[in-house]
Amino acid sequence: MDTERFDRTVTTTCGYCGVGCRLEAHVRQGRIVSISPASDGPANRGHTCLKGRFAHQFTRSRERLTTPLIREGDGFRPASWEEAYTRIVSELQRIKGEHGPDAIAGLASSRATNEDCYAMARLMRGAIGTNNIDNCSRVCHSPTSFAMRRSFGLSGATGSFDDIDHADVAILIGVNPTQGHPVVGARIKQAALRGCKLITIDPRRIELADYGELHLSPRPGTNAAVVLGLCHVVARDGYTDPAFIAERTDGYEALSELLANYTPEAVEEITGIPAADIERAAHIYGEANRASLLWGLGVTEHKYGSEVVQLICNLAMMTGKVGKVGSALLPLRGQNNVQGSSDMGALPDTYTAYRPVSDEATARQFEQAWGVPLSRKKGYTIPQMFDAAIAGDLKAMYIFGEDVAQTDPDTAHVVAALENLEFLVCQDIFENETSKYADVILPASSFLEKAGTFINAERRFQLVEPAIDPPGGAKTDFEIITTVSRMLGHDMGFETPWDCLDEIARLTPQYAGVSRERIGRHGLQWPVRADGSDSPVLYDTFFDNPELLGKFAALPYKEPGDAADDEFPLILVTGRVLQHYNAGTMTRRTSNVELVDKDVLEIHPTDAARLWVSDGDVVSLRSRVGRIELEAHVTERIQPGHVFTTFHFPETRTNLLVGQSADINTSCPEYKVVAVDVRPVSEHPAYVPQLAAI
Amino acid sequence: MQVTVDGVAVEVSDGATVLEAARQAGSWVPTLCFDDRQAPFGACRACMVAVDGAAKPVPACTTVCRDGMTVDTNDPTARRVVSAVVELVMSELPSPPAPHTELAQVATRLGVSGSRWPGVTHQVEHDLRHPYLAFEHELCISCGRCVRACDEVQGTFALTAVGRGFGANVAAGIGSGFLDSACVSCGACADTCPTDAITERLLLDGGINGGPPPDAPRLRKRLSTT
Repeated sequence: MDTERFDRTVTTTCGYCGVGCRLEAHVRQGRIVSISPASDGPANRGHTCLKGRFAHQFTRSRERLTTPLIREGDGFRPASWEEAYTRIVSELQRIKGEHGPDAIAGLASSRATNEDCYAMARLMRGAIGTNNIDNCSRVCHSPTSFAMRRSFGLSGATGSFDDIDHADVAILIGVNPTQGHPVVGARIKQAALRGCKLITIDPRRIELADYGELHLSPRPGTNAAVVLGLCHVVARDGYTDPAFIAERTDGYEALSELLANYTPEAVEEITGIPAADIERAAHIYGEANRASLLWGLGVTEHKYGSEVVQLICNLAMMTGKVGKVGSALLPLRGQNNVQGSSDMGALPDTYTAYRPVSDEATARQFEQAWGVPLSRKKGYTIPQMFDAAIAGDLKAMYIFGEDVAQTDPDTAHVVAALENLEFLVCQDIFENETSKYADVILPASSFLEKAGTFINAERRFQLVEPAIDPPGGAKTDFEIITTVSRMLGHDMGFETPWDCLDEIARLTPQYAGVSRERIGRHGLQWPVRADGSDSPVLYDTFFDNPELLGKFAALPYKEPGDAADDEFPLILVTGRVLQHYNAGTMTRRTSNVELVDKDVLEIHPTDAARLWVSDGDVVSLRSRVGRIELEAHVTERIQPGHVFTTFHFPETRTNLLVGQSADINTSCPEYKVVAVDVRPVSEHPAYVPQLAAI
Repeated sequence: MQVTVDGVAVEVSDGATVLEAARQAGSWVPTLCFDDRQAPFGACRACMVAVDGAAKPVPACTTVCRDGMTVDTNDPTARRVVSAVVELVMSELPSPPAPHTELAQVATRLGVSGSRWPGVTHQVEHDLRHPYLAFEHELCISCGRCVRACDEVQGTFALTAVGRGFGANVAAGIGSGFLDSACVSCGACADTCPTDAITERLLLDGGINGGPPPDAPRLRKRLSTT
């Protein structure tokens, strides 16, 4: 019907959050003029949010990178692609020759396609010869991936968003879907209006708490105690499923012994949640026929984040509420392809589908396919890369689609690492905080300008189709990465991303039946068998480990890495808002800034009054590692003793405050618990940290 | 159960509506207030069809099928009612709806052009305060789709039907505009609107919806009075 208004309409998949909305991008004169939701999108079903629908103006921002840039003195000069490629290849070859392949590391991007990430991993492994490849899921859901593999076998949601429609009860832990995953937030709200009982667990009173049965506000960093308390009451009051525990699981006795300690009263002591609320929440969950568990970065970005995910898995297994329609465990993945970038093996320890680099059979399979010898040694994770750069062991990095100097914790440490590198390549759509330290900057493409696939939070492969061309001389990430690899002497032999998808399917039994044609408009949820049948529900008959049993984990509560004290009496939690997306690279270059134009500090009226802070005042926020200034927003959404802010604006530099504490198993940073001191400051210009001097 | 629509027999499930059966049979039924994403509303009367045994035409979107039902979507009486309904709707607009809108397409397919009832039309009133969403209040036909999109699809309850009779329209918040309402800017209202009464700024400002870009002086007047 829109043939008159638009030159063409392309159906693709949204490049913002992990919901994976299918979108219709309407193009006129080579520009996106409108985006509407695809009515048959399996996750969004004809709906989308303001980011997916409206925040596309960044594609034609004047600040887009349109030509390669090469460092010259303190600045950059435009260069030809040939010069940029030659420079990259000669520097990487020199460093590899002088210091060995492990002196080079690459970062793939959870914003990019599976094919981009696979190619980047292959560039590092096949062309350079190192497993130093990681992606930004390290700093968000790596604990989820680790824990779900431990407990159930596979690294992904056990079901689909559709399970929310079938659930009688949904527990949301450390996740704020109406802000972070708006379309799923809307689906949960509709489910609640139809009678699904919501229990929300978050230090802040999130919007969905207003639609729920019960809201629990634990002290930041005490999630483990909350979940252990729920398990205690479930076991004590007979809501377990003994048949399921006996036939399908392993290790319940040890957990059972541990649970004895976590009485509601003991949990109240640790978490601050009234014992009666713990009991009530456990009863609501226990009594439900079908109940789903959803969580986000409020669970994972902690010192014991991965352990809490294992505890959540315990709760589901004890009650037999897993592997059934309506009873799903749904980690809400942050970025559009945070699932896929890890699935594709852009990790220092695994090939595609989480097969270890040390596994001889897998390594041989890839050696045969790629025609090169491959390292069996685990590579560096992102935090290890920075440590190695500072120690002088890592000499070069190739970073695409990630702004580590804004988004990673302990900014000063990251910047010191970047400055210590001999050679840094940044491949992105805009210059950013990280590219300030680059030697070569390559102009790349946004999701609206490339082809390939994303995998959403439901494990669903979905097609990405280009609606417009990259601006000026910019190229697709896939073309750039495969060209660099070819010039390094490792020709991947891909004409298009679809050739790459075919190779991924050929070399990965879990994706055996994946193809562009089969993905079509409705997607495929892995594992995908060779006949093309996919898996909306996992673990309906067995868990995916050698014993086919779910593994209980008897893990006690342990204190978080940071705690309030006399000097730093408040706990800072960080998160995002609806109108902006992570580093804000894209949304800050759209009219979304007319809706929200700064990060603010949420503070409870009691704390505000005690500190002589009024709504709108500028406050100083100091942690053990850094200091920033922000405008205060006084609100009862947050509990006394806690403060909250976002990290969308580079001028705020929220991550200057976050220290080195990280998840013990995956080194995912503890963004969610930072002890801070808040003081009002008079209205003079904000202090700008001198990063380069560190 | 089995239903026959325009001579075509179709198998439908319990609770299916006549509109669903008609679509299954491949028959076209005009609709204005209907959206697949929302519960049937039955407000616009554009989907009237004849059902065997019923004394008068019935709305297809809210009538539930019975086994053995026979439906005629081309019944002359029903079509006369529908054409008159669409003509009346169009008679209130100050200018014909843009060709890409659902209203224009329904009218064209029914052969309704213009209106036999000249008279008072809605006053042009635009609200362009939001960066992405625009009201063109004069195009509102009170179908309620935007309000229900906000309630049933997004769950934000920012839009309200306001006024009565000829003065019926839609408002964000208590008439305060999108920015000062609970609106989360998802755009579900603009997506469902069959007339562009709520539309996207980019399409409006660029003249892509058809018609000239919005009248700036009038906008300023509107803003100064609110």
